[in-house]
Amino acid sequence: MNEANPALRVRGLRKRYGDVPVLHGVDLELSAAAVLGLVGLNGSGKTTTIECILGLQRFQEGEVSVLGRGPADLFRLQGDVVAIFDSPSVPPHLTVRQCLEHARRLCPRPVRDCAEVERMLGIESYTRYRIRQLSLGNRRRVSIAQALLGEPRLILLDEPFNGLDASGVDRVLELIADLNRETGAGFLLSSHQLPYLERVCSHVAILHGGRIAAAGKLHDLLADVGSRVILHSTEPDLALKLLENDARVMVLENHSATHLMLRLRDWRSDELVAHLVQHEIPVCELVQQRASLDNLFRELTAGERK
Amino acid sequence: MSNLLAILRLELFLSRFSLTAKILVLAPALVCLARFALVWLNQAGQQARASLIGADEFALAQAQNAYGQFVDGVNTGLTILALLLAAAAAYDFSSERDIGSIRHVLIRRAGRASIVLAKLLRLHILGVLSLGLLGLAAWAGSALIWDFGPVVEDGFELISEQEILYEIHLGLLMAVIPLPAVIGFGVLVSVAAQSATQAVTVALGATLAMDIFKALLGERAWYLYATFHPSVLDQSYLREVSRLVRGFSDVLVEDRFFIYNGWIPLVSVVVFVAAALLLVSRRGL
Repeated sequence: MNEANPALRVRGLRKRYGDVPVLHGVDLELSAAAVLGLVGLNGSGKTTTIECILGLQRFQEGEVSVLGRGPADLFRLQGDVVAIFDSPSVPPHLTVRQCLEHARRLCPRPVRDCAEVERMLGIESYTRYRIRQLSLGNRRRVSIAQALLGEPRLILLDEPFNGLDASGVDRVLELIADLNRETGAGFLLSSHQLPYLERVCSHVAILHGGRIAAAGKLHDLLADVGSRVILHSTEPDLALKLLENDARVMVLENHSATHLMLRLRDWRSDELVAHLVQHEIPVCELVQQRASLDNLFRELTAGERK
Repeated sequence: MSNLLAILRLELFLSRFSLTAKILVLAPALVCLARFALVWLNQAGQQARASLIGADEFALAQAQNAYGQFVDGVNTGLTILALLLAAAAAYDFSSERDIGSIRHVLIRRAGRASIVLAKLLRLHILGVLSLGLLGLAAWAGSALIWDFGPVVEDGFELISEQEILYEIHLGLLMAVIPLPAVIGFGVLVSVAAQSATQAVTVALGATLAMDIFKALLGERAWYLYATFHPSVLDQSYLREVSRLVRGFSDVLVEDRFFIYNGWIPLVSVVVFVAAALLLVSRRGL
C-alpha cells in the first residue's frame, strides 16, 4: 500500500437522510501507516462518513475503497479492518472475558489472547464482570480490546475518548502510537477532542458543511495557519481600518469591543506593533497564540472575515 | 459458505450465555410438565368423586390413557414454542443492531445475507433442541402418571396402539412443518423493525392477531401458515389427533387440509426469508 494505492480512499461521497443532505461530496485519503484525524462540528457528518466507509449506510453517490475493497466487501478482508464505534457495541449480558472470547472467534487470524489485551487496556481486574456492570469508560476499553485481538491494517475509531478518564486517554493514545509504529496499522480517528488528536495524528481532515474544508499533514496545515495574535487596543476601529488592506495580516474576528484577532503572514509581532505605533494607534497588549489544531478548526468552522 | 458456518458457530457460542436461548429450549418442556401436574391433580379429585358416585367407563378409559395426555402436553408445549420462536426470532437481529454488535460481525467476518441466514439456522437448531426436550418431557411425564395402550371400551378396542402412534406421528409432523415459517416471520420483523422492543411487540401482536383472525377466515385461513401450528385458538391437526387417540371417531379432516398444511408454511418461509434478505441488504445497520 503506497500513496498511489492508499489504505482508504473516498471520492465525492454524497449522502442524504431522506431529503436532508448530510455529505456533499466528501473526499478523503488515508495512506498506509498514517493516523488521520477526522474532525468536525456536531452533526457535520463524521459518523455518517465512517458508517458509509464501513458499509453500514448506503450512500447516493461517490466511491469508497478500503484496502482495495468496496464497503460491502470489508468482511472479505478477514479482519484487516476493524472499527470502534461511538457507543461501545458490546453485548451487555456477557462478561468481559466472554465478550473478548466472542471477538476472538470473530477474528480470522488472532495474534493476541484475551488476557493479553485485557492487560493492554488495564481491564484485567474486570474479567468476570458483566458488561452492563461496567462504567462507560471501561466498556469503551473492552470495545477497544476487541479490536486488538487480531492484527488489523486499518482501524477506524469514532469518538474513542468518550467516557475515558485521563489515564485511559493516555493509554489509548499510547496504544495507537505503538500499534502504528510497530505494525504499520493505519488509523482513522473521529473525535471532538482536538488536543488528543493533535498528540497522535499525522494527518487531519476537517469536515465542515458536508465537505472536507481542509486536509493534509497536520504539521503542514498548522504551518500554513501561521501565527495568530490578539491585539488589545483602545482604538480597534482605527487598527481595523489600517490593517484591512495589508497583505501581511488577516483580520480573523473582532474578538471583543477592544480586541482583534489577527493572523500574521511573513510579519513578526514586533513589526506589527511598530507599524501600529507609527500610525498613532495605541497598543495596550499583543498576545501571541500558538498555531494549534483547535485554532485551525475554530478558524475554518467559524468562517473568515477577510 | 465457510463464512456462514463461522457465523453459525459464533451464534451458537453466544447462545450458551443467552437467557433467551435457555428459555426457548426449556420453557415448552417445563410448561408441558406443569400441565401434566395440573391434570393429574384435577384427575385425582375427579377419581375421588367417581369412586363415590360411579363413573362412565369410557370417560375413565380416556382419562387414564397416556397417549391423549401426551398429545395434549405436546400441543401445549408447541403453542408456547411457536410464540417463543416468533419472539426470539424478532429479538435476535434487532437487539444486536440496537447494541451495535452486529456491525463488528459485518465488518470482520460475514456479509449481511450470511448473518441473517446464520440467525435463521441458529433458531432452527434451538427449535429442534426445544422440540426434542419437549418430546422427551411429554413422553416421560405422561408415562410416569398414566398408562400407554389402546383405548378399550367394554372389551372392544376403539383404536389400536399402532393406529394411535400413526396419528401421533402425522399430527406432530403437521404441527412442526409451520415452525420454520414462524421463525422466518420473526426474522423478517426483526430486520424490518426500528428497535428490538418494536420487533418483539409486532411479532407477538401479529402472531396473536393471526390466531384470532384465522377463525374468521374459514377455508381462506388455509393460506395462512399460522393455521397449521398449535396455538391459543388451535385449529391444527394435532388438536384433532388429541380426540382421535382418545377413541373419538367424529374427526373429519379434508385431504386438502393436509396438502395446504404441507406446502403453505414452506412457501411462507421462502417468502419471509427472501423479504428479510432483500430488506437487510438495503437498510442501514
